[in-house]
Amino acid sequence: MSGEPFSLHASPSGLDPEALARLTELDPKGENKLLERVLRAFQTSAARLMPQLETARLSGDRATVRLVAHTLKSSSASIGALSLSQVCAQIEALIRAESTDDLDPLLQTMRSALDAALSAIQRLLDGAR
Amino acid sequence: MNARSDIGADDLPEQPRVLLVDDDEVNLLLTSIALRERGFAITEATSGEAALVALGHGLPDVVVLDALMPGLDGFETCRDLRLLPGCESLPVLMLTGLDDDASITRAYEAGATDFFVKSTQWSLLAGRLRYLLRAARVRAELERSKSRLARAQDLARMGSFDWKRGAGGPVFSVEGLRVFGLGPTDTLAFRPLLRMLPVDDRSGLIAVLHEVIRHSTVLATDMPATLRDGRQRIVHVEAEPEFNEHGNLIGYSGIVQDVTDRRLAEDKIRHLANFDTLTGLPNRRQLIWRAERALEHARRLDHQVALLLIDLDRFKIINDTLGHGAGDELLMEVARRLRSCVRHSDQVMESTIESMGSRSHRTLEAVGRLGGDEFVALLPEVVDERDAERVAQRILELMREPIFVGGQECFVTASVGIALFPRDGTSVADLMRNSDVAMYSAKGAGRNSASLYRPALAGQGREKLELESALHKAIERDELVLYYQPKIDVRGARMVGAEALMRWRRNGVLVPPGDFIPLAEETGLIVPLSEWAIREAARQARIWQDNFGFADSIAVNLPSRLFERTDLVEYIHNAVTTYGVPHHAIELEITETGLMKDLQNVIPSLHRLNEIGVEISIDDFGTGYSSLAYLTALPISELKIDRSFIRDLGMTPQSSAVVTAIIALARSLGLRVVAEGVENLRQMEVLHRLGCGVMQGFLFSKPQPPEDIETWLQQTILPRKAPWIGKAEEADVAEVLRFPDVRDPRAKPRG
Repeated sequence: MSGEPFSLHASPSGLDPEALARLTELDPKGENKLLERVLRAFQTSAARLMPQLETARLSGDRATVRLVAHTLKSSSASIGALSLSQVCAQIEALIRAESTDDLDPLLQTMRSALDAALSAIQRLLDGAR
Repeated sequence: MNARSDIGADDLPEQPRVLLVDDDEVNLLLTSIALRERGFAITEATSGEAALVALGHGLPDVVVLDALMPGLDGFETCRDLRLLPGCESLPVLMLTGLDDDASITRAYEAGATDFFVKSTQWSLLAGRLRYLLRAARVRAELERSKSRLARAQDLARMGSFDWKRGAGGPVFSVEGLRVFGLGPTDTLAFRPLLRMLPVDDRSGLIAVLHEVIRHSTVLATDMPATLRDGRQRIVHVEAEPEFNEHGNLIGYSGIVQDVTDRRLAEDKIRHLANFDTLTGLPNRRQLIWRAERALEHARRLDHQVALLLIDLDRFKIINDTLGHGAGDELLMEVARRLRSCVRHSDQVMESTIESMGSRSHRTLEAVGRLGGDEFVALLPEVVDERDAERVAQRILELMREPIFVGGQECFVTASVGIALFPRDGTSVADLMRNSDVAMYSAKGAGRNSASLYRPALAGQGREKLELESALHKAIERDELVLYYQPKIDVRGARMVGAEALMRWRRNGVLVPPGDFIPLAEETGLIVPLSEWAIREAARQARIWQDNFGFADSIAVNLPSRLFERTDLVEYIHNAVTTYGVPHHAIELEITETGLMKDLQNVIPSLHRLNEIGVEISIDDFGTGYSSLAYLTALPISELKIDRSFIRDLGMTPQSSAVVTAIIALARSLGLRVVAEGVENLRQMEVLHRLGCGVMQGFLFSKPQPPEDIETWLQQTILPRKAPWIGKAEEADVAEVLRFPDVRDPRAKPRG
């Protein structure tokens, strides 16, 4: 028993408290260290997806950009990184609608939102320790 | 426990197995945890490729597929997995985004069972999965039951069809098409269906359909159909009307079934029940049915019906001598001939007779077999008895032709009894009985003839029946007795043997042999009667041997048919052995006519009997047409001159000529000769003069019970008190009768 799991009050992290609460519900006693595993899974996922996104952006491979955005859209929503999820949804929608708009500004926003989410996660994980 | 209650359905597996496919580790992790929490067993795959590999190792109950994935996406994965064995109807839930309508459509196109918008509301996902599982289960059961139904219908050669009013022809299921010999891709419209029916049946079916639809009633009919490949089938159609909410007929739904085999079996059963298997003629049941119908018509239309009872003469003899196989052959030929004597219709069924007009009773005309050698001809309409007699004559004529059975030519005659409705009876039973009476009268009149029923016959017929049944019981009731008439050696005035004569003591009255022996011969009862006589004679020989040293033979009369029995020798052997008398204590008398009639069959028996010491006497000699050549070769010992020659002796010169010839013949063949029916001294003297020394007749003694014979011996023979004694020996040296002291057998007088 590692004592109190993450306390929501202790982490005004920029992650949506409701989403975090739902995750906590899945593992109320923290026996499965669910929250920690989910957050680490997000980290891993992001670490895998970011280089793909960068390569795709440079080569103009919109399909891959869409896929990364799609994946990040739902996983970020799951952990409560709502602004990241939102920008991902925007990017996905634009590509699906075959918009010719330049994606770079949005990708820029996405990048910073991801960074914010990752640091919030990191803070949570550190706090848990 | 919690998990199970969460699944919440008794009919689902305890832990439904879910293959969860998502490239997003976060979602995968969350979803799998949430579903595990709710009682599902989760296998994870992070790509479409990995999912297909996992499916190769074992099938889950349901697959949850993320739609958008790198590599094989959800749609491609779904399409691919449908091709894997066992996955054709595996439930697949496609996970799509909320705002992604295109994906939803694509999901279905790819063969997904359902879609689900990604959500963190895990209980919704779990609920959807449960629903999918249940639906899949129901569907699987439906499939199973459908295939069971198809199999059952296939076995029952049955299929279904629907017909919607105003929507064209009937629509048949695959099985329904098969009933009509069509493939699953064929269609069968009403017109081509109608063309499968025989032309004559088409308008009938149309009329039935119109009628059924007009009244919205249940359709149930059979139709003969010729399938494309030429097979003739009978298809049973049964359908129920369907109504809309207003109660209006909107169509029919029902089944078609190939009932050919069943129909054939039914026909076969009906045929077996109504027709004689040997001859194929209507049997008793069918005949009675036809006769009843014929009487109904005759009553209504006021005409006469004739019933002819046909009984073969001597059939039993053919059966006994040639065997049952030959007997059957003969019956078949007789049936064939009889059939040609009338306008015989084989097929008369309840339905046809009612649907036809006033002349329909004509189809009832037939010849049928009642059983054994008894046939009936039913003439449903005759003007008078001459009509019936003409048919009877035709029958008798056709019988006259020899019949070849078992490679042998047989002559069969028939006796026909005729009874007319309403004159001779108003019911089938009466007509049957009275035609039987008439038939018996034909037999009585010498057979091979036809006889009309007359009321006067009825008494005779019944009496005869009673007599027959009483005779059956006579042996067991000990009603039969043997009377004995001595054979006398007139020169020595001594008894040299006796003839046993059967009498029937019925209810204290003695029935004369002429009243029951012919009946016994006709019915075959003569066989047990004769066997009884042999034993009884042997028993009597023993008694007389003990009482007065009797050492001669008792002659028993046997019909020729008994000589044909291979066990006759054995039977006699057993009888004499039982009573401890020698074989020659029994002598057998066979009439000349009987002997000559069945000569070939009788000869072996005669030889065997002769070998064991049983002597044979030819009775009624002179009346038949003996071949003298045969006579010399036959192992016989005695000729008995027929009483008719004796009667005229001294009155007509011819009779003494015949007697002289017989005596000469017997002498030259080394046979004894016995004169029967000697009633007066004149006859005795003539016979004696002609050289016949052994006689039998009222002059000496009438047939008497055995104890009376003993009395007669003691009171007449021994004291030599009879008028005939002495007369015959006037010229001869009397041989002293040494009775009863003599025990040694006396030499038999010859010639």
